[in-house]
Amino acid sequence: MKSLILLLATVTLLPAIELISLPGQSPIINFRFVFRCGSLNDPKGKEGAAALTAALLARGGSRALPYSGIIEKFYPMAASVDDQTDQEMLTITGVTHVDNLEAYYSTLRDMLLDPGWRPEDLKRLRDDQLTSLRVALRQQNDEELGKEVLYNVLLGAAHPHGAVSALEKLTLADLQAFYRQHLTQANLTIALAGNYPAGFADRVKKDFSRLSAGRPSALKRPALRPLTQTRVTIVKKQTRAVAYSLGFPIAVTRAHPDFPALLLANTWFGPHRSSNGNLYQRMREIRGLNYGDYSYLEYFPRGMFQFEPDPNLARRQQIFQLWIRPVEPPTAHFALRLALHELERLVEKGLTESDFEETRAFLARNVNLLLKTKANELGYRIDSQFYGIGEYPAYIRSAIAKLTVDDVNRAIKRQLRKDRLEIVAVAEDAAALQKSLLSDAPSPMTYNSPKLADIVEEDKLVSTRKLGLQPAQVRIVPVDRFFQ
Amino acid sequence: MRTLLTLLLAAGAYAAPPSKIFPYGYDLYDLPNGLRLLTIPTDFPNIVSLYTVVSVGSRHEVEPGKSGFAHFFEHCMFRGTKRFPPQKWEAVMKAAGAATNAYTSDDLTVYHATFDKSGLESILDLEADRFQNLEYSESAFRTEALAVNGEYNKNSSEPAEQLIEKLRATAFDRHTYRHTTMGFLADIKDMPNQFAYSKQFFDRFYRPENVTLVLAGDLDPKQVRTMVEKYWGPWKKGAVAPQIPVEPPQTAERKAHVPWPTPTLPWMMIGYKVPAFAENMRDSAALDLISSLALGRNSPLYKKLLLEDQTNDVLQGGYENHADPYLFLVYARVKKEVDLPAVQDAIISTLNGFKDNLVDAQRLEAVKSNLRYSFALGLDNSEAIAANLAGFIALTRTPETLNQVYDLYASLTPEDLRAVARKYFVASGRTIVTLTHQKEAK
Repeated sequence: MKSLILLLATVTLLPAIELISLPGQSPIINFRFVFRCGSLNDPKGKEGAAALTAALLARGGSRALPYSGIIEKFYPMAASVDDQTDQEMLTITGVTHVDNLEAYYSTLRDMLLDPGWRPEDLKRLRDDQLTSLRVALRQQNDEELGKEVLYNVLLGAAHPHGAVSALEKLTLADLQAFYRQHLTQANLTIALAGNYPAGFADRVKKDFSRLSAGRPSALKRPALRPLTQTRVTIVKKQTRAVAYSLGFPIAVTRAHPDFPALLLANTWFGPHRSSNGNLYQRMREIRGLNYGDYSYLEYFPRGMFQFEPDPNLARRQQIFQLWIRPVEPPTAHFALRLALHELERLVEKGLTESDFEETRAFLARNVNLLLKTKANELGYRIDSQFYGIGEYPAYIRSAIAKLTVDDVNRAIKRQLRKDRLEIVAVAEDAAALQKSLLSDAPSPMTYNSPKLADIVEEDKLVSTRKLGLQPAQVRIVPVDRFFQ
Repeated sequence: MRTLLTLLLAAGAYAAPPSKIFPYGYDLYDLPNGLRLLTIPTDFPNIVSLYTVVSVGSRHEVEPGKSGFAHFFEHCMFRGTKRFPPQKWEAVMKAAGAATNAYTSDDLTVYHATFDKSGLESILDLEADRFQNLEYSESAFRTEALAVNGEYNKNSSEPAEQLIEKLRATAFDRHTYRHTTMGFLADIKDMPNQFAYSKQFFDRFYRPENVTLVLAGDLDPKQVRTMVEKYWGPWKKGAVAPQIPVEPPQTAERKAHVPWPTPTLPWMMIGYKVPAFAENMRDSAALDLISSLALGRNSPLYKKLLLEDQTNDVLQGGYENHADPYLFLVYARVKKEVDLPAVQDAIISTLNGFKDNLVDAQRLEAVKSNLRYSFALGLDNSEAIAANLAGFIALTRTPETLNQVYDLYASLTPEDLRAVARKYFVASGRTIVTLTHQKEAK
């Protein structure tokens, strides 16, 4: 009877907080507060407001306690609060040992429901966010830079951390306005896991009903820039090597019926940081062009630091992307040609029956590893709600069990393509790369060891592959122009 | 041969933080060839993690021109055997749904795989084969050297990499900790020419006496023993002890500067010579506590530099367990170059403060509590359990070390910390390196 009432309540009292409760034996208590809002809700000229609001909540003081007091309180517990802001989701996570649950939760609750909005927190966290764009992204990680520029030019959306010039001007009033408008019950899902006492999850939900009720935030879809021909953006900065990211928007997200087939195809072609992908094998393993080469169906920031994606980066607009790790400048033209050659082979030939069977067997087991921690399990559940699919590993396993190799290859043909690409290169001698690409001149490879005959033959083909680019299609942009 | 130690604490697994910090029961078993097997059954279902911990790292790179070789050799281990050429190796891993990778550090090289438990026997067979019968062509070897060069390239935009490279080269004269695990660029460029040396490296160091298999997950220790004996038992012992040069005592403070070509926030790194982990575990434990007290998020220095003055956006570091004497490190990044001298003074006087004053007993207890809870919170899946143990296993080959270290933390007093600070925070053992945008060395 009670559950019936609850069910009715959720139906009739919209908008309401969604609650996911996974009580268990673990003494590790995980909290996840996910708001269905993000950098797409940043007002024009205030890009970065969502991320800075999240930072202020998770890494700033509450009204009762300055941030130094919060550190003081959490330190003996080794407890933590973190934040992650993406285009459509703003996430605050927390973790504590069950021994300290009450003391931890009361502080966490105050941080999120009664923030301190202190100028010194704003200054510190804004500096951090500016440094993440100005220094970390523009100067010290060419790979992430290439990926984020690719998203920027394809989707026309600001970086989830915002834009330098807007961040410099953001005020506490801007963040408070963002908080009031978007951090509402209507946008919130609370997810909990661990050995918390009976009734605790409901209590948390009740506490958070102090947030304003609100309405679901309108999330404008990023405006796709039409891509009628291949374009190349060479980001000019001082660096040893040339890093590439390239791709195009796709209509597929986890919500799309082609997702499982494309996931299988991508798991064969370019699984993240794995040596068993085709792209990695052809570019790195056989030819030693770089440290690794992968492909993506979904946004996956910070990939150079981690093996599994973080949950709660769900988006309605994804891109298909190749990540070519830095190559030596003399091989840059060839490396791009080879990446395009492999993409073409994927699109035209697809997978063989044995590729398909091996990859399906792998994926059916490997997908379980994504949920090896409770924190991830909570995150995946929320993402599944976002996309309207079932529990993720079970959904994937059952969907791929029904597929045939023809289904997969048809989905590839429907959703992927070999032309009309956006190509981003990060390079120091941008002019030389531009000239080389426009010339379409052969870029023969020499290696430090003999290669098998079929590779030598393939190289002949690849090294003369025509890109057919016109000058207007290849632009050079100084790094400081991005995320400004 | 040890008897089966079934210290199983299935029920105790969640009673953290318990009196013993490592809450899991385990089976520790030495094969006659010297290989050690550590099996940790956990209650996380279906998944198994295999961490093959080789107690060999860049510390073993004693010959000139061979810096970075242990890491390069880690790459070579993926170049196959007669029975399992790389593609076959990948296929076996793939069939088990495995996530695999490897990493190398100063004192260890770790090969890891996390997979569905149904793949256990085939993966133990596969891994045993490559550790015994690795066989790659010179051509494959030369190609792999290029991938290492690519790895150097992808790291090269990060100033912290250069900072530590400079600090090591300045602080050490003879010991192999003089170079980073990645190695000097000139040595990386020469790697393709070191085929013969790579065979020697394998022959000398990749021996069962240097290796511990750590298995955590949904496991039956008895069954694991049988499988490991079958596949790893025939491996021949014969490890050669490396002749690692002893570092002479440092007699005066050293300084260096790195001019950085692209915009960056200014960095500073300070290192003090400190003892090896196993050489003086009590001092090591005291230095761990001082690390947290001096540099942790709850420390007065952290609060002053990051929260109050906001001159810094990074302050971290501390003691790191090493096989030989290494450095107590402090990393600091400031927002304005003009603040570097004051920040340097603040760091040094904070560490000197531990020599003059006794730490507040309550703060010490907070740090001890933090360390215990941090550890407990990190054990949230089988892979994390194996990964957390790997560093200790490389140095002492037993998880009891962990319990010992946490017992030491509990026993240390403010007086102990003061004595240790007086021993190691001396100017003559200090090296300071700065890094700023485009400036010449001062």
